[in-house]
Amino acid sequence: MIELNELTDAAQKAFPADKLSPARDASWELTAEMGWLMVRLPEDDGGLGLDREASTAIHYEMGRVLSSAPLIPAQLGLQAVVESKTLADRADWLERLSAGEYAPLHMLPAKVEVAANGTVSGTVGGVFDGDMAVAVVAMLPTGYTLIPTDAQGVELTERQIWDPSRRIFDLVLTGYAPDPALMLSDVEGAAAMHDVLGPEAHLALAADCLGGATAALAMTVEYLGMRKQFDRPIAMFQALKHRVADMKTRIVATEALLWSRARDPEAARLQIAGLKALATDVYQFVTEEMIQLHGGIGLTEEHQCHLFMKRAMLNLQLCGSLDWLNERVGQDALAEMA
Amino acid sequence: MTDNADLEALRSEVRGFLDAEKPAGWRDASRTQEDFVQTQRGWFAKLVKAGYAIPHWPAEFPGGGRSLAEQKVIYEEIAKADCPRLLLSFVSTYHAFATLHECASEEQKAKYMPRILEGETWCQGFSEPGAGSDLAALKCKAVREVRDGQEVYVVNGQKVWSTMAQFADMCLLLVRTSSEGVKQAGITYLLMDMKTPGVSVSPIHQIQGDEEFAEIFLDNVVIPVEQRVGEEGKGWAVAQATLASERGLTLMELGYRMRGALSRVAALIREHGREQDRGVLRDFGALVSEVDAVCAIADQFLDNRIKGIERIGDASIVKNSYSRALRAYAKLGVRLGGMDEQYVKPITFGDLNTGNWMADFMNSYAWTIAGGSEEVQRNIIAERMLEMPREPKHWTL
Ligand SMILES: Cc1cc2nc3c(=O)[nH]c(=O)nc-3n(C[C@H](O)[C@H](O)[C@H](O)COP(=O)(O)OP(=O)(O)OC[C@H]3O[C@@H](n4cnc5c(N)ncnc54)[C@H](O)[C@@H]3O)c2cc1C
Repeated sequence: MIELNELTDAAQKAFPADKLSPARDASWELTAEMGWLMVRLPEDDGGLGLDREASTAIHYEMGRVLSSAPLIPAQLGLQAVVESKTLADRADWLERLSAGEYAPLHMLPAKVEVAANGTVSGTVGGVFDGDMAVAVVAMLPTGYTLIPTDAQGVELTERQIWDPSRRIFDLVLTGYAPDPALMLSDVEGAAAMHDVLGPEAHLALAADCLGGATAALAMTVEYLGMRKQFDRPIAMFQALKHRVADMKTRIVATEALLWSRARDPEAARLQIAGLKALATDVYQFVTEEMIQLHGGIGLTEEHQCHLFMKRAMLNLQLCGSLDWLNERVGQDALAEMA
Repeated sequence: MTDNADLEALRSEVRGFLDAEKPAGWRDASRTQEDFVQTQRGWFAKLVKAGYAIPHWPAEFPGGGRSLAEQKVIYEEIAKADCPRLLLSFVSTYHAFATLHECASEEQKAKYMPRILEGETWCQGFSEPGAGSDLAALKCKAVREVRDGQEVYVVNGQKVWSTMAQFADMCLLLVRTSSEGVKQAGITYLLMDMKTPGVSVSPIHQIQGDEEFAEIFLDNVVIPVEQRVGEEGKGWAVAQATLASERGLTLMELGYRMRGALSRVAALIREHGREQDRGVLRDFGALVSEVDAVCAIADQFLDNRIKGIERIGDASIVKNSYSRALRAYAKLGVRLGGMDEQYVKPITFGDLNTGNWMADFMNSYAWTIAGGSEEVQRNIIAERMLEMPREPKHWTL
């Protein structure tokens, strides 16, 4: 059994806190070397068989260094294959994915239509690092499926996004004929698959947010202590200290919720969705403050503030926006408190 | 160490007690302050008898000697069962107890602790008109004299914001015995009988119609030297023990109570036909998760305390998280209730999150002002936890 703090220590050694993540390819290689692609792969399937808490700890650390390796969509893609009861070459796929081949789950909605002949056209959004994907795990109206990126009628188009720590592609389908052998679920099974993947995605993103927010806070505190104006460190100004205290308070409280949800196998889907909403809200708040408290330098490309802010802004949109998630949590709580 | 099976056994034992003894209708029986006080006294006596009133006291007292994990179970269950909080006896069982237990002489302990269990209530006479957040600036003056062959302090001054002083038998009193040196050094800690001649109490009318706290006037009040806790001039350290006692379990209990009270917001949404209003659902959803985070941080705080790894500032984070969520809770209610909430409704004394939204809103300030204001907590988080530099101590105009 791998202890959580061993995992965290290893992560911090591989991705030191005083440096942000190296470029994508190097980060991805390192991620694979660390064995993190296999963290949630059951032992029976040749993986490490670790639980949610372990993957949460890794995503937290990767958030802290703004990792550019697409570990979250990779883990979710792998989990879709693990969960699949219909995939023909399941074992083969698992082997390939744990060896470093990349088949991400898309992180934004699919807007597609199915023609009478069964072919699919439209756009599957939010494919991270599509350029290195061998296939994409997509939720289509017909169920979850693997779509090989080199198949007929499949094209990847990179979209320019503000967040430079990620690359996002649209998977554009034009009369694509899904391969029955690559179906991960049928229509009925899709809901169950969604119930598994949704919380995993939300937990991972919440961890990414809180790792990032923690790093952003530490950088802000350090800067305020260093920067002098009016013959004193600006950290001495109470107006700024109080803003920092609120950043700290919101991060710590949300992190307590993160770990309690990560450790609770009974946590409901919408409880974790609510956590994701809260964590993204906190990350946005913290990075917004970070820039303001840095003054002009916070607006420069050279300084790291903007990297955190842009990642926070993107996280808000992934796997359900703040409004969308809060609305569902509210609806659910209302129904429960009938 | 208590293991999980023991804790679960305790949990069902507490549940059994609460099923049988829960004071049904306690809200209706708390519409006036006199009724509230009666209800509180009755409930406290029941809890003492059952052994659940003072789980944090030492084992020599019946119902004491519980581990923190056991205390947590007891508080959780009482909160979940929506029983009254022990407000009237809060100062006696927490502040007075901690002060006596940690700092008092054996004679003082033997004299006062059993009386607390018999229902004697205490108040805290710390704050003064000129000493709020800056408590050490207090001026209430005590002069040492010999009267009728007995060494006594003669006390003159005024205390303010003393919670339920009008019902208290005893008072934890901070006085100034010297104005030499730093202001903390001249403070002395006394235990004062509220029936001593020269003590007068006048309740303060609060904005929500309650009279929870009171002013205490001290006019040549004679207090025997035996009533002093710790040495003369060393009262500041004793006061820290008093103040530290209220952190911890209380906020966990309050977090669970707020979570339970979310159903009042749900009821309000229905009452006003806003079930399909997406903006309202969003705000409600966000509040639900925020309250969940408050419960999680309060839990974590207690777990860290159980493990002995509590750090400076942890309690401030829990307090500010709670008070922020509490304010948001009450404000959402006021907003959803609309004009209805502007008509005065009768208040329930000693209750939180009542669904009387304007009253709840006003009550929520207790948590951002009392026990170290929100701003003072921010100072602690920034300066002592994040180690940001303190402000220069002295200034001239
Ligand atoms: C419901 C309730 C119950 C209470 N019960 C008791 C009791 O039983 N016994 C008792 O002795 N006292 C009690 N108090 C008093 C309480 O401890 C004081 O109200 C509190 O310490 C604040 O003091 P103050 O009201 O004088 O406000 P002030 O200290 O005058 O504060 C005014 C404003 O200035 C801010 N401020 C002050 N200092 C700083 C600083 N250094 N940095 C930034 N901002 C600052 C405050 O946050 C606040 O916003 C109670 C108060 C309340 C509200």
